[in-house]
Amino acid sequence: MRRALVVTLVVLAFPGAAWAHATLEQTSPKIGQRLAVTPGEVRLEFDQSVRALANGIQVYDAKGRLVSGAPHMPAGDSRAVTAPLRRLPRGGYTVRWATISNDGHVGRGVFTFGVRVAAPPIAEAYGASGPGTSEHVVRWLYFICLALLTGGLGFRLLVLRSEATPEAERRFYRVAGVGVIGALWVGTLAFLLRAEDALQLPFTAFLYGDLSPFAKATRFGQAFVVMELGFAVVSALVFLAWLTGRNALLWAAFLLSLGLGSGLSLSSHQSDDRSWLPSFADWVHLSAASLWIGGLLSLGLIVWNDRELRRKAFWRFSELAGPLVALVVAAGVYMTFERFPALDDLWSVAYGKLLLVKLALVCLALSWGAFHHFIVRPRLEKPFVARELPKSLAGEATVAVAILLLAAILVDSKPPAKPAPAPAQALAVRR
Amino acid sequence: MQPPSEHVHWLFATGVLLLALLLLAEAIVGSEVWRRRKWRAYLWPSILFGLGVFMWPVMVLFTNSTIHMLAHSSWAQMMMLAGAAELGLVSGKLKNELWKLCLPAMLAVSGAAFLIHEANPWFYARSAFVHHICGWLLLIGALFPLGAAFKPRSLVYNAGYALVIVGVAVALYTSRDVAPVFGHLSPSAGVAHR
Repeated sequence: MRRALVVTLVVLAFPGAAWAHATLEQTSPKIGQRLAVTPGEVRLEFDQSVRALANGIQVYDAKGRLVSGAPHMPAGDSRAVTAPLRRLPRGGYTVRWATISNDGHVGRGVFTFGVRVAAPPIAEAYGASGPGTSEHVVRWLYFICLALLTGGLGFRLLVLRSEATPEAERRFYRVAGVGVIGALWVGTLAFLLRAEDALQLPFTAFLYGDLSPFAKATRFGQAFVVMELGFAVVSALVFLAWLTGRNALLWAAFLLSLGLGSGLSLSSHQSDDRSWLPSFADWVHLSAASLWIGGLLSLGLIVWNDRELRRKAFWRFSELAGPLVALVVAAGVYMTFERFPALDDLWSVAYGKLLLVKLALVCLALSWGAFHHFIVRPRLEKPFVARELPKSLAGEATVAVAILLLAAILVDSKPPAKPAPAPAQALAVRR
Repeated sequence: MQPPSEHVHWLFATGVLLLALLLLAEAIVGSEVWRRRKWRAYLWPSILFGLGVFMWPVMVLFTNSTIHMLAHSSWAQMMMLAGAAELGLVSGKLKNELWKLCLPAMLAVSGAAFLIHEANPWFYARSAFVHHICGWLLLIGALFPLGAAFKPRSLVYNAGYALVIVGVAVALYTSRDVAPVFGHLSPSAGVAHR
């Protein structure tokens, strides 16, 4: 027994290899690189020695034709694998690789490069099928989590203020907790789904798939990194606020979660390198919608059982909902003009048709909100109104959640292409 | 620019060792003595919670495999949950003693994540060996906080739990990136590297 203990300690105490399997450190061509001439080969360099598989490097053109030869390891360099390339015509190319690490795990990955054109996005690597139903559902869940978190925090701080009863406080922390944990989980799931689609691997192989190109070389991945870190901090702030009862921590969590929404905007279709305005409008749209829909859900989930508090909260929320809806509509109209180069795109392309359905639902929700604001609010004291109000609020919240589903599908879909600049303009720019 | 993974492991090893020493101190002197200063009761749960928060950057910045991300995510969440539950109990915000079961759950889930993370058998390579040490240590070690949840004054359970955490810290300190010795416990793991 003593000997076994000594052997174990010695084995652990002496230096050895890394814990992890081989990590891809460098590639040639670089991930996402645009090349002026055909590269002679694809070269992968790892942080430790690897073994090349027979199909260890496969390079495909946009039509799925294999343009690479058999991979091999350069003499004297056990950390690199190379594969020769044919002469490549202009276009985008996808590299799929697989190597065996010395710990026996098969690591796999994918990246893209372009020859005399920009490299295709990794999410659009050859073989990737693009966002499907599961991605729509996951994004929808993400929006709901954001609404619960941001809207819940906003509701607690701006609507309930200092009048939250212990029961309402308890319910609020449950709502915010579900929102922030959901944002962390669903965010991870969304990232993995996007990577899985590009990697095109069966589940067990995907477990050892290299996700670095997605996390580092795509806006979606960078947004994922920032938002996961941010929501981890928000979860800590919400917990500490519960533990200590300090509202300042809730304010910090609220402002941080509002700011984190910009991650979605910066990685969306609205993100435009030429101007910050589309991304800003998208963030305003998302933030105002989260506060509005999250507030509606909070009315039902946090103050549902307390008639007096519900009445006060409903009154205050109505005052807040007006400006929020105005922001949602203003930012939405701006984005529609920005996104649709021609008016007939609204009914001639799938993206436009989806947007029309969303607008119809938004109109329904706005009408419902107006009914609550102008008809119900002045009659809140009447017993019948007070009794039926929760059902009506649940109806409005259901429509709002349906709007989020359509928003999720729209975000995953491609808007109509913007027309290329006129030749004269292009010439002027070139000069 | 990322730090080498071994540096990250050593940083966490230091945090885990600090946690273990505080647990050991409390086990030796007893909770009554340890908690004569109220702030001391918050010490190790706060460190556990903080370690969970600091595990998130590891999860999102070291993305060389899916399973690596998922394992670190589970450690982050379990450490935050167990630390939060203990803080809630210490502060009196949580009344139900069943929240103490978060600690054994944390160890069991973390141990399982270590073992699932490593597909190779014990002696395939050094990394496999260390993963198994950590995994089984945590999995079997979960029995100590489980026992302590029902017998809070037991020296065996409390000291056993602390020593399990010491063991995990030692295993984390053994993570080295640049080293030739004992890199391969089996030739079937391939040629020596590094």
